[in-house]
Amino acid sequence: MDLDKLRETAAEVAARDDVKYLIGWEKGSYGYRVAPAFAEDADGTADMIFSPLCTANLATYLTLVEKLPLPRGQEPDNRKVALMVKGCDSRAVAQLLVEKGIHRDEVVVIGCPCPGMVDPALLSEKYPETEEIAELKWSDDGFIIVRNGEETAVPREELLAEKCRLCRYPNPVVSDIMLDEPVESWEPAEDEEVTEIEGKEVEGRWDYWQQEFSNCIRCYSCRNVCPLCYCQDCILDRINPSWVFRSVNFSENTAFNIARAFHLAGRCIECGECERVCPANIPLGKINRKLAREVRDKYGFEPGLDPESEPFQASYKPDDPEDFIL
Amino acid sequence: MSANNEPNIVAFLCNWCSYAGADLAGTSRMQYPSNINVIRVMCTGRVNPLYVVNALQQGADGVLVSGCHPGDCHYMEGNYFARRRLGMLKDLLEYVGVDPRRFHMSWVSASEGHKWKEVVEKTVEDAREAGPFEGFRRRQIDW
Repeated sequence: MDLDKLRETAAEVAARDDVKYLIGWEKGSYGYRVAPAFAEDADGTADMIFSPLCTANLATYLTLVEKLPLPRGQEPDNRKVALMVKGCDSRAVAQLLVEKGIHRDEVVVIGCPCPGMVDPALLSEKYPETEEIAELKWSDDGFIIVRNGEETAVPREELLAEKCRLCRYPNPVVSDIMLDEPVESWEPAEDEEVTEIEGKEVEGRWDYWQQEFSNCIRCYSCRNVCPLCYCQDCILDRINPSWVFRSVNFSENTAFNIARAFHLAGRCIECGECERVCPANIPLGKINRKLAREVRDKYGFEPGLDPESEPFQASYKPDDPEDFIL
Repeated sequence: MSANNEPNIVAFLCNWCSYAGADLAGTSRMQYPSNINVIRVMCTGRVNPLYVVNALQQGADGVLVSGCHPGDCHYMEGNYFARRRLGMLKDLLEYVGVDPRRFHMSWVSASEGHKWKEVVEKTVEDAREAGPFEGFRRRQIDW
């Protein structure tokens, strides 16, 4: 990806009169860190990057904005928000459009075709972080790590993130501006982790998830980072009725994780953010991917592809499978 | 599950079909297990999937959701939505390790008293086979 072209385009968009701000990525404070950047004018875009470290899904920020009541006589700021998206992020935007979470006129989508991201945890484990800001680049058959002025070439399979190995849509499905030529999509890997759990006995699955869920500290990071968890009044925050108690024990943790996963059934676009931010390293992706697989195989539905489609749980087909009904 | 190993089943019945069906089974003096605790809802589409999770947390060993046959819904399409949602929920519960015998869904119309009897017998039998479900109980804390 040509960074000069990216910054030029970003500056152009951010300088537009009808754009409130542009959301992109920039280098973080040390090591492999990459931070989201908000540019209100062309100056703010000078340091923007797009590298294999840009795992963060910026579509989250579309719905995180706090909408305070306006003082009397003040006009609302109806300008657009511009954001950079990878393939998976663009599916989040498409799903938000489906659910009327945002309106098409409210966003400018800058598409970045994505050859695959690295797994940040795996990366810092194998190639320890430095105090200096390190960089990553794509090469023809892998990644190039630039640390302390040294370049290390790494094969693609070694560091590629799980979600990217399974990725089916590396190119943005919704975009106003494309920054590059579409990348050639690769053959998605078989989702063996989910198949492995499916193959276990019921008790084995229960024990496995009991172990994982008992680590949950109920920080709700997974909910907060999710681009599609945008309810103003989340059931997890409610006191009355209290759907899930706040106590951190196995029963409530399981109920919370079931509720979270279920609310994303037929909506999750598999950007893997929940799993990345989880401080307890709960493999949330395995639940989300299982539900996505069921939705795909049984109902022939894939979320986040067509902004004109109907939401999965708010629609039905008369011939939906009903083999589970007595 | 009570002391004598009888399963505790929560059943969500739709007002227009299954509740009337259960009523018919009662007025026809059909004998069926009394482990069912019926909660009447106006439509299966009204059953939030978290009701099922909550019931399992609060002491149910099995949950049954029953409504009108597809196409017969009093509200035209409520049971179609329910079928989709609760079908997904059943897959999810199975995936996290809840025994699939603990959650059932059925279509019972107002005239199917006999089918209601069969459904209840099957649900109770399944829950009894699956045994008491202690792992998921909400812990009672006395402050």
